[in-house]
Amino acid sequence: MKRNLLIGGSFLALLVALAIAQSAVQRVAAAQAQNGVMAPRFEVDPTFPKPLPNGWYQGQTIGLWVDAQDHVWIVHRPDVLDAAEGASSQTPPTGECCNIAPPILEFDQAGNLLRHWGGKDGPGYQWPDSNHGLNVDSRGNIWIGGNGAMDGHVLKFTLDGKFVMQVGKKGVTRDSLAQDHFFQVAKTFFYGPTNEVFVADGYGNRRVAVIDAESGKMKRFWGAYGKPPDDKAALAQGAYDPTVTYQHFRGPVHCADVSNDGLVYVCDRTSNRLQIFKTDGAFVKEVFIARDSRADGAVWDTAFSRDPQQKYLYVADGRNQKVRIFDRQSMEELTNFGKGGHYAGEWYSLHNIATDSKGNLYTVETYQGRRLQRFLYKGIAPVRAKQQGVPWPSGK
Amino acid sequence: MPLPRRVVCCWVLVLSGVLAVQYDAATQGSNAGPRYQVDPWWPRPFTNQSWVLGSVTGVTVDAQNHIWVIHRGGDSLETNEKGMMLTPPSATLCCQAAPSVLEFDQKGVLVSNWGGPGQGYAWPQSPGSLAVDAKGNVWITAAGLEAPPTTPARGRGDAVVGEAPAAAPGRGRGGPPPGPPDAHVLKFSRDGKFLLQIGAPGKMDGPDSQTTLNRPSAVAVDAAANEVFVADTGNRRIVVFDADKGLYKRHWFAYGEKGASAAPPAYAPNDPPAKSFRDVTCIDISRDGLVYVCDRSSNRIQVFRKDGTFVKEGIVSKNTLGATVTGQFGVVSSHGSAWDLAFSSDAQQRYVFVANGHDKKVHILQRDTLAPVGTFGSGGRYPGQFLAVGSIAVDAQGNVYAGEQHHGKRVQKFVTR
Repeated sequence: MKRNLLIGGSFLALLVALAIAQSAVQRVAAAQAQNGVMAPRFEVDPTFPKPLPNGWYQGQTIGLWVDAQDHVWIVHRPDVLDAAEGASSQTPPTGECCNIAPPILEFDQAGNLLRHWGGKDGPGYQWPDSNHGLNVDSRGNIWIGGNGAMDGHVLKFTLDGKFVMQVGKKGVTRDSLAQDHFFQVAKTFFYGPTNEVFVADGYGNRRVAVIDAESGKMKRFWGAYGKPPDDKAALAQGAYDPTVTYQHFRGPVHCADVSNDGLVYVCDRTSNRLQIFKTDGAFVKEVFIARDSRADGAVWDTAFSRDPQQKYLYVADGRNQKVRIFDRQSMEELTNFGKGGHYAGEWYSLHNIATDSKGNLYTVETYQGRRLQRFLYKGIAPVRAKQQGVPWPSGK
Repeated sequence: MPLPRRVVCCWVLVLSGVLAVQYDAATQGSNAGPRYQVDPWWPRPFTNQSWVLGSVTGVTVDAQNHIWVIHRGGDSLETNEKGMMLTPPSATLCCQAAPSVLEFDQKGVLVSNWGGPGQGYAWPQSPGSLAVDAKGNVWITAAGLEAPPTTPARGRGDAVVGEAPAAAPGRGRGGPPPGPPDAHVLKFSRDGKFLLQIGAPGKMDGPDSQTTLNRPSAVAVDAAANEVFVADTGNRRIVVFDADKGLYKRHWFAYGEKGASAAPPAYAPNDPPAKSFRDVTCIDISRDGLVYVCDRSSNRIQVFRKDGTFVKEGIVSKNTLGATVTGQFGVVSSHGSAWDLAFSSDAQQRYVFVANGHDKKVHILQRDTLAPVGTFGSGGRYPGQFLAVGSIAVDAQGNVYAGEQHHGKRVQKFVTR
């Protein structure tokens, strides 16, 4: 009896000790979750997309969007293949690889190529000299821009490549006050609530322009801080100095993406900043990112997380080769991931980012990167490092 | 801890299934021989997140089954990808060149790295391939920069209008290379201690020289005879030295000829085979004592005995021609189908793998007949695809490692299916 009591007592003591230990563990975990930073976590998926058929070779990839079916659309520049890369497309061919692919490519979630089209002028429209930017609107149309020396327009097509509308034209010059054309557009963004398209205009011009998505009519435009654009003053700003706060867009104005709560996020790429506006152009605030960056700048593109509040803003830094994750409310950078290079999860020049309905993130690279990559969304997780590097699956 | 291992195992199985599909899509040739698929999880990303590979010019596997890589480093990086190496830096987090010589273990972890100028030797202006001998010494060739450009570069950037990317100093745009051109072979211990230099930069006494070389591309070491075989590209010959002292032993030309002949004209598929090498870019010795040589832009492999006796030749891809283009980091020569070769890991070394950089794939040949049995890979930047695949090696398990030059800048691992 005494022995049984002893055993029972020991068992009880053990249980109590375990309970205390368990509670301590829970407290620590809770403390980490409360005090630690939480952010979306991603893992690179090297199986997406599948290699292109027909010996096609992807060029500089400078536009990206995910449509309502979660199909991934890209626009690239087939004409940049050099004689070594495009050996089989030379006259005469010098080798077995590779062939020129059409510029607009659609992939399903399995990474299969579906529709592919574009690249030539057609009745009523001029194909850009240098493809740049792609957006699919909620009504099933594709919008593209162009940053060639002559490009002053945006084009609207059906998903099958049937021409719908051209706004602006080729052969214009810089004029950020123009009502009827653009100059070297970087990106378009369809905003459903007002049926407007926000145009990042662009490489030549230094403004955000807003047009009606049906008529193409210019509705309004603005420059840095929501003021009227001034090309002369913008061009007079000179070489980049990280200690100067520039009063005009240095450009290229590389993105103008609108959140569900009606804020316009504008990439002023070589100023290393985002400027945030209301949809009417009223300036809200600006955020500097990697302000010491020079050359082609650190702020290339943005995308929103897919929760209803769009709690997180993803920023493509094509200078440091990082996807930077911001808390959209505070605009504080929580963490970043990625690395320079040519392996899965690395980038040469990270040019655009986009998210699908599941929260997965897609990236495309220009210059010598030339890939579309997918990063699988793995939920909100504690941030373990400010610079995560290549986001490999946890089991690898 | 058996659980994590099982998890890893399952991951591999799941991924193998997925990637097999991808591989099939990437493959364009027939495959009667062994079949391969890319392992996208090799190597592991560099711990130093700012490091990137330059143009990879050599890959080899040592006796410990470690994978050695040599690349051109910052010299082959565009200004866009070496922002941290510029003055002032254009970026703070990315990128700078990884050290030139890299040793990876089987898991793809970087276990050692070294390379660059030092006392008593001349680091190459542009390295060729490398070899690790049975004693663990590392041999590097100084292959030199490519010849002047003949075709202007095409392409267009996303640079701000009016701000063209700057050319790298002293490189590209046809500018003169700094210093005397590469003409030597270097031997280091496996931890990077300098041991021997054969030849010297700028000293090129011609194809019958017993002490000088001319832009050598590759070496192979015969452990039994303690000899190093050099693919002496600029002299269109194979030359053999003592592996300890670098003393001349013998040399020969294409078809085992003892006398040099003139440089052949540019390759044309229907011309009779050239009497001399156009550009010998690889050399490897099989277990049964045969010396295999790539004559890159002649699209052929020539086979010799170790004494230089010609045995046979085989064509890799008869119709492959080439292109010369210029980029930010100088001239890019992409010619021919026989850039590098490696033997399969079976005792008989039944197969030869040939890196075909211009057609962007790997050929598998039967070693005894040099007849084609299959290919793998296709052109592109995705895992399992190639740009200028120019170096190749096989490990003890038969896994294939393929390095890419130019803008490829990767070494990828392929495993048997």
